Amino acid sequence: MRGANLLVTFRAALLRRATRAVPGALCIALLVGPIVALVVYACSTRWFFPQLLPAEWTLTPLLRQLGSPQTRVALRASLLTAGVTTALALVLGLPAARVLGLWRFRGRTLVLLILFLPTVVPPLAIGMGLNILALRLGLAGSLLGVVLVHLVPVLPYTIFALLGVFARYDEGYELQARTLGAGPLRVWFRVAWPLLGPGLTVAALFAFLVSWSQYLLTLLIGGGRVITLPMLLFAAVAGGNPTSIAGLALLFAAPPVLAIALAARALAAGSAEVGQQY
Amino acid sequence: MTAIALSHLTKSYPRQATPALADVSLAAEPGTLLALLGASGSGKSTLLKLIAGVEAPDSGEITFDGRSILRVPAHRRGAVLMFQKAYLFPFLSVAENIAFGLRVQGASRATIQAEVRRMLALVELPGIEHKRPAQLSGGEQQRVALARALVTRPRVLLLDEPFSSLDPTVRQTLQEAVRRIQGELGITTLLVTHDRGEALAMADRVALIERGEVLACDTPRRLFERPPTCRAARLMGVTTFLRGELAGGWLQSRLGALAVCGPSPREGRATYAIRPEQIRLRCLPGPNALPARILAQTFRGELSEYVLQVGDATLRVQAFQPVAIPAGGELFVELPPEHLFPVCDDEASSERPL
Repeated sequence: MRGANLLVTFRAALLRRATRAVPGALCIALLVGPIVALVVYACSTRWFFPQLLPAEWTLTPLLRQLGSPQTRVALRASLLTAGVTTALALVLGLPAARVLGLWRFRGRTLVLLILFLPTVVPPLAIGMGLNILALRLGLAGSLLGVVLVHLVPVLPYTIFALLGVFARYDEGYELQARTLGAGPLRVWFRVAWPLLGPGLTVAALFAFLVSWSQYLLTLLIGGGRVITLPMLLFAAVAGGNPTSIAGLALLFAAPPVLAIALAARALAAGSAEVGQQY
Repeated sequence: MTAIALSHLTKSYPRQATPALADVSLAAEPGTLLALLGASGSGKSTLLKLIAGVEAPDSGEITFDGRSILRVPAHRRGAVLMFQKAYLFPFLSVAENIAFGLRVQGASRATIQAEVRRMLALVELPGIEHKRPAQLSGGEQQRVALARALVTRPRVLLLDEPFSSLDPTVRQTLQEAVRRIQGELGITTLLVTHDRGEALAMADRVALIERGEVLACDTPRRLFERPPTCRAARLMGVTTFLRGELAGGWLQSRLGALAVCGPSPREGRATYAIRPEQIRLRCLPGPNALPARILAQTFRGELSEYVLQVGDATLRVQAFQPVAIPAGGELFVELPPEHLFPVCDDEASSERPL
């Protein structure tokens, strides 16, 4: 009796575990699968149709590609563009999101609508118009121009992420800190920042990712003079060399993965510190 | 110890027809506790915000010890606010929360440690330095908030309904604790509340506030027993007002002639009031007794509440001893002359005249 009971319990536990494990495994396979394929492509030469695995493994083309001055310039341009865009988006988005998230005023919905318009309108339509403007202002082909045009899709997403943060934010903490003797700077760094930190991290991540993956707007405003990684990648895809495509794709995927990992760690640490109350 | 004086303060908010504060003048003696009693929306919280400096008045003057503080920013006023919510910083431990104000002042580590321990002992929560706010109960959180507010030795303590979200037993112990600590440290304190019992129990003086106006300001006992005006009396729980002609110690009201005593105001039109628990129910007629019929009764433990029909008016009475007469029964209400007091009639449209 007892043995049979145990067996039933064991089978139920196994089933439960399997039903939980399968979706998880599927997710991981879908996420990791393409990257594994890229790694295999990037580290091989001469891989033809009937073979299941490449005939020859080598790192030489990958290293050569990553070390080439062209790639390095593009990587730097990409990091610089995404970094500056993220910083600007936070500086501009934070006050905007605070007002839109905490205050209720007439015309608020209209402001939100206009703000989110760029995310709905096709980038080509926006880009063409902005291209003319950038040419007139002399910003076409400059890094500054590219950063500014990146803000068009980045800012709405940043503000959107921050709106959620401020919707749950209680200004009472700041009020309390002020009456306890804290000046404006101290209130911001010692009270608002720790409370808003996790939300800001997510918003920064959003901003970085949206800017990092821009192709069309960079091409239109950069006019071929600002070369970011997506442009190299598109050129490589047009060229059709799988090893070269895979190498660039890995390089392109690395910073976002790193950023997500760092953000996840920061968020986990933040939530552990804040505890259940927030 | 700091004396607070408010003179002719006004404050309006955009898109609000009536001003939040209309010409408010009040004073709190050094080291005393002044309660601001009023319904929600009466402007009492606005008053605290103006004193704390998180909002500015449209006109008027606020002084601490005779010196205007209107140009002093909130963080330099030495006026600490405490709210209904404890607002303990969730990312700091209890000790770090209490130390917040001292850190701002740049106190040394040894001082901070000693002061934190002293304050925790004062609020009777020793040994919880390393806990997180989320681990504390609501009452404990308010105690820590009190410790954090007092650690910097503020000139003025401003309490904005700090007990109203706590359950009754915790509320009472915390009220007693605040009163004790406030007295020990001698900090001038303003307490905003809508709870009459709380205001009477804690305050040296009570100010009654309604629609942005101060109706009266006096000691709890005088305000309770002899509120000066009709509106003040209503805020103190009085529901029976008698309007009539006063002549030779008799008030001719709609209910009949009633004897009144004490220093009477001038003869002619007068309004008298009586507290619901001073009205006596009796089975036999007598002096100042009127025939009445019981419309409804509620047993509330310490006292029983009756709604009575007297002539064509209704009367609310609170009796300590319930009477053995069912609803609909006839009896007499006695309005003892020594408990009838004159009030200044400040209600333009009389709602329940007798």
